[in-house]
Amino acid sequence: MTYKSKRAISNMVASAILVIAYIVYAIGKYETGSGDLKSWAIFMLIFIGIGVGIQIVIQIAFHIALAFGIAVKEHVRGSKETDNVVRTLNSSMVEDEMDKLIGLKSGRFGNIFAEIGFLAALLTLVFGASGILAMNIILGAFVLGTFIENIVSIYFYEKGVRNG
Amino acid sequence: MGKKLIISNNIRKLRFFANEMTQLELAEKAGISRQTIIALEAGKYTPSLEMAFRIADVFDVPIGEVFECKSAEGKK
Repeated sequence: MTYKSKRAISNMVASAILVIAYIVYAIGKYETGSGDLKSWAIFMLIFIGIGVGIQIVIQIAFHIALAFGIAVKEHVRGSKETDNVVRTLNSSMVEDEMDKLIGLKSGRFGNIFAEIGFLAALLTLVFGASGILAMNIILGAFVLGTFIENIVSIYFYEKGVRNG
Repeated sequence: MGKKLIISNNIRKLRFFANEMTQLELAEKAGISRQTIIALEAGKYTPSLEMAFRIADVFDVPIGEVFECKSAEGKK
């Protein structure tokens, strides 16, 4: 499995942690019936902020684990040069045209889900559902879109991608 | 629509003849990631013309020696 596939998996793990935490808090909040649209918006913004923090922490942990893994592999291969670890790590992190192509292709799938979610949220409002539900559908669609984007990018990294 | 083209490459062979150049060395010289070299060698990625020229430049050979193109019927 490539570095970028592993990074996508670590992103998905971070998102999954956040989604579970959000669902637990949101169900509690919804059941108590507390909160108007404004308080839900604040609640979501706080979670988005926490999400960014969790992503940063998980990415740092991932890169430390990756560097450690490469160092162990190099040691097993008998290489005594620490320079090789840095070079392998640097080369893995280079973003070239293949990454950009995969990013574009997988991003398209993510966008489709976000757009479907937005339309679904509008439809729920048309049929008389609350604004809180519509906001949650939009947020859910974005999260699901990010998940799908990561899954599609892993697929392309593992199975290959063609220009055109 | 035109015929489907199959693009293959000789990167592994050229690395061998370049004093067993590693994938890491080739990636660094061509300015691309090692994963892309792995994907190219496995036939999982077809590069752009620019990347193809950069790889050919590393081996100092014409682009036709690195990449080959066949139509689906097998004609070169």
